[in-house]
Amino acid sequence: MMRRPRYLLLALPLLAACRDTPPAPMKADPPLSAVEALAGGDVAGYTRALEPRDFTFPDDHGPHPDFKTEWWYFTGHLREESDRRYGYQLTFFRSALASKMPERDSAWATRQVYLAHFALSDVDGGSFRSFERLSRGGAGLAGAGGAPFRVWLEDWSVESIGDADFPVRLRARDAGVELDLTLVSQKPTVLHGEAGLSRKGAGPGDASYYYSLTRLAADGRLRIDDREMPVTGSSWLDREWSTSVLTEDQVGWDWFALQLDDGRELMTFQLRLEGGGTDAVSTDPVSHGTLVYADGTTRPLALGDYRIEVLDTWRSPRGATYPAGWRLRVASESLDLEIEPLLADQELDVSFRYWEGAVGLTGSVDGVGYVELVGY
Amino acid sequence: MTPLLRRASLHHLVRHPWLIGLSVLGVAVAVAVVVGIDLANSSARRAFDLSVEGVAGRATHEIVGGPAGLDEALYARLRTDLGLRDSTPIIEAVVSSADSSRTFQLLGIDIFVDQTLRSFTPSYSRAGTATAFLTRPGTTYLGESLAAELGLGAGDRLSIRAEGGTHSLEILGLLSPGDADDLARQALRDLLIVDLATAQELLALQGRLTRIDVVLPDGSRHEEELRHTLPPGAELARKSARAGALDQMTRAFRLNLTALSLLALVVGMFLIYNTLTFSVVQRRPLLGTLRALGVTRRQVFGLVIAEAALVGLVGTALGLAGGILLAEGLLRLVVRTINDLYFALSVSSVEIPWIGLAKGAALGVGGTVLAALRPAREATTATPRAVLTRSALEGQALRGLPRTAGAGVVLILAAGLLLALPTKSLLVSFGALFLFVLGFAALVPAATLAATRALQAPMRRLFGVLGAMAVRGVATTLSRTGVAIAALVIAVSVTIGVGVMVASFRSTLIGWLGTTLAADIYVAPADPRSRGGATALDREVLEQIESAPEVAFATTYRRVRVRSSLGPVDLGALRAERPAFDAFDFARGRPEEVWRKFQAGAMIVSEPLAYHHDLDLGSTVELVTDRGRRSFEIAGIYYDYGSDRGVVTLGRETYDRFWSDREIFSIGIFLKDPESTDREEQLASLRALVGERENVRWIANRELREASLEIFDRTFVITDVLRLLAVSVAFIGVLSALMALQLERGRELGVLRANGLTPRQVWGLVSAQCGLMGSVAGLLALPLGIALAVLLIHIINRRSFGWTLHMELPPHILLQAVLLSLVAALLAGIYPAFKLSRSSPARALREE
Repeated sequence: MMRRPRYLLLALPLLAACRDTPPAPMKADPPLSAVEALAGGDVAGYTRALEPRDFTFPDDHGPHPDFKTEWWYFTGHLREESDRRYGYQLTFFRSALASKMPERDSAWATRQVYLAHFALSDVDGGSFRSFERLSRGGAGLAGAGGAPFRVWLEDWSVESIGDADFPVRLRARDAGVELDLTLVSQKPTVLHGEAGLSRKGAGPGDASYYYSLTRLAADGRLRIDDREMPVTGSSWLDREWSTSVLTEDQVGWDWFALQLDDGRELMTFQLRLEGGGTDAVSTDPVSHGTLVYADGTTRPLALGDYRIEVLDTWRSPRGATYPAGWRLRVASESLDLEIEPLLADQELDVSFRYWEGAVGLTGSVDGVGYVELVGY
Repeated sequence: MTPLLRRASLHHLVRHPWLIGLSVLGVAVAVAVVVGIDLANSSARRAFDLSVEGVAGRATHEIVGGPAGLDEALYARLRTDLGLRDSTPIIEAVVSSADSSRTFQLLGIDIFVDQTLRSFTPSYSRAGTATAFLTRPGTTYLGESLAAELGLGAGDRLSIRAEGGTHSLEILGLLSPGDADDLARQALRDLLIVDLATAQELLALQGRLTRIDVVLPDGSRHEEELRHTLPPGAELARKSARAGALDQMTRAFRLNLTALSLLALVVGMFLIYNTLTFSVVQRRPLLGTLRALGVTRRQVFGLVIAEAALVGLVGTALGLAGGILLAEGLLRLVVRTINDLYFALSVSSVEIPWIGLAKGAALGVGGTVLAALRPAREATTATPRAVLTRSALEGQALRGLPRTAGAGVVLILAAGLLLALPTKSLLVSFGALFLFVLGFAALVPAATLAATRALQAPMRRLFGVLGAMAVRGVATTLSRTGVAIAALVIAVSVTIGVGVMVASFRSTLIGWLGTTLAADIYVAPADPRSRGGATALDREVLEQIESAPEVAFATTYRRVRVRSSLGPVDLGALRAERPAFDAFDFARGRPEEVWRKFQAGAMIVSEPLAYHHDLDLGSTVELVTDRGRRSFEIAGIYYDYGSDRGVVTLGRETYDRFWSDREIFSIGIFLKDPESTDREEQLASLRALVGERENVRWIANRELREASLEIFDRTFVITDVLRLLAVSVAFIGVLSALMALQLERGRELGVLRANGLTPRQVWGLVSAQCGLMGSVAGLLALPLGIALAVLLIHIINRRSFGWTLHMELPPHILLQAVLLSLVAALLAGIYPAFKLSRSSPARALREE
């Protein structure tokens, strides 16, 4: 999935500027061109995802600094004993400012920047909060490592508890919200696309390395303001790194990470293309997905294997109009799901706005999931 | 005031343009001096406050470390473990331009967080350049105003010197403060903003931070919580405390300047007093007539006060304008002294606050009116019935002498009482000084009378009748000459007092440098300013020097600022052998015993420190060390004139035990054969041994001594300027007083001319009288001047700076003062003598 992060990361140094300007929707060109001007935009000198690679763990949980961008995406659903439901997102993005740096004699010198988003959806309380952090990837302030696995930005972190990469402890806190979870992986690592090489465009190297841990049992504590409670649930980790840039006609994407009650998971994404007219939106044929069976085996899905229909829309008080409600069908698997946001407003009001939220599934099988909508 | 009175008054003013003009000028110069000093002081102070505040931004607190700063890991720990988000890491240092003496404040920041505390630092959103700022070494942002001053723009390079090396910085972009952001504008005037990585590289401060700025919510709970989590050696301090401490540092210096400027005002007030007294005396007949016509006492009083106020207003207005002009020059001197003695400060322009001008105006007009009170009251005594003759009036003045002299004695006693108060207050000291001066001034008429009586006979013998007449003239016009001479005495004594003080200081310093600078050669970093004075020498240099055959031994010295129970103090770490230790001249403590205790870990402190904090042998001072707070006992108190705040000195071993800092700042080299004639050769061979190093400066003993004196002389330039200004006020005063006096004698001289006095004899008479008054003033100024010197040296200086100075009376200063007084008086006689000798006796008599 080609998350907004790809744009976002390129845009890192621009973020503060965006804050002061009116909503800067993805569609508008200026951010991208400014981004290019700034981050060098140019991907020369970075390693590119050209062909499938041999993933080795835990090393590949760690950073790949020679690629321009990379992220660690944790999302999940939690419940407290009283059955009150929550959704959370904790994401770390790494972005290289330059492909090379002169020899420097300081721990502060780095060409890596880390950005993180933390969001909490209080489904039954009807509230959504999101936070953002940004730091250089140096001087111990932010960074990542594979062995032992650790990714952190100041006091937001995910790190291995023992010698093995999993279980991990996930911690994040900001004004009034604190989350402390232990995540235990219940299924094998899933490689998306072509053995982990996920195409994002037609050109060579327009691809990323992409793997997921689709079912992580979560157990821990959640504090909201003065209320602290034990919570349990399930999480999903998406890992992706690449050097490619979106092609000019790609205007955004919709991404779905669904955990079905029958033990299967489904990941799909659609890259939206700008057609001839301004409103003519079609889907890039490279869009794809992966179905994970209960036993951990996987089946790659091409764009023709699934179909997504928008059932409803939601207009953000901050301006954008997002789809809100979908019918997703995978005919060959007899899957027919209706996807509905658990909260309408799960738009992250951070440097660069996007919608990322907890959704519920009904239909041929029930379940939960996370949806990301970028470029609206 | 009725039209009649106004006309009478105007008539008088117009008739005496010289007199009034000089009075106005006198007030103007006095006000200019006061306002100039005040503006210079307040500008320096405001610039300082603003730059501290501006650079502090929103930060309420700072976490600071020992001499070597903070371990950078502390910052990451605070953010990752404690989630202390309102915090930013800072590296700060003073660096200088490679091409000029201009200094800059190098501020190393973390671009990702700094904006939360400082509005003006660059944000990571600065398109195109942020990446270069973070990844490319030697890149900087600077403020628009600084760029304009340097004539540089984005893309240009700026060469600076830091850590002894020359670095070329690439200017990535210019920062503009918000329109309403005064603080930011002030702060940006000197800032070179670099990334922390760049700062560490430029300053060789890898792994260290200067401080961590923190915003803490109100309430001591947060402070306490944070304080508990800090490692030993790191301390949490309020930002305001830092500004306060630095402000305190220069307070005594600034107060002394203010007092000196006020002295000029006092002289100016005497001048007004003199002028008005004179004009009242002169108009007694007119005033008597006015009274007979029904003008009330109150109206007469008002008339004189109004005249004074007019002179005061015009003089003050001119003085304010002059003060603003003067302030530019004075500010440069003030800032230079602060830079030489205290800390790096740059102020580019004089701030003109309304309050400063208002203060000057109030002093000018208020002082003038105050000086007019007595003459005005006297004017009301002109009764309609008895218009007193001049002789009756003078008789009255003579009868009043004992009362005036008595008042003088009372004032001097009051001054003595004030001085005896057990206080270190400078205000009290200056109050006493002013009372003393006024008291002495009140004694001047009596002393003048005594002097003239004593001179009567010798003058007659020397110059005949005219000589005796000249002397008698002074005595018979005492109501006016008394005040004029008093003004001259005060002015001249100020020049003596200040001159003697500076001379004593200088000779004390020379003596002290002679014993203190005991090493034959000193080695220090070429660029001691960078890193805020924490620059260091390469240790290798020390090893090389110690291995040289001609070196007997070498001492090392390291000066750092640490926090203590007394506030921030300068701490010197000295590694010395016994012979080098003997360079300390102890005010308290026996050298053998001090040496023993010093080696065992005790501290020695300089005299100013002991004085300011009432410390004595055996007292303890708690220092914040890298191992936490530790108490040290005072083993000795030594004379030191290098710092008015004071210094504590520890043995290097003791220092190393409690501080992690291993740097050395300077090395003192003691040669085996210091008397050797080939000193140059020895120095050359040492230099060759050490090799060419950019950051090493070699200074021979004599060179250092001369450099120290040069700084001393530079810092006293402003004192000399003020002394000259006070003298010029006095000069104007004497000129106007004596001139008026002589002009008024036109009639008397007319009579004498009619009786055969030649124009030449008129010159002689006038000159003799002026010269006499000048000499009397000069002689009377000697005791007052010396007394002032004693007060300045033993009270004011001691209480301001804590130094013991050995008084020295250089004859040339005394002689100069007497000559000054004589010349001023003689000059004052030129115009009246010229005019009177040319006037025809007939016309003078017709006016009868």
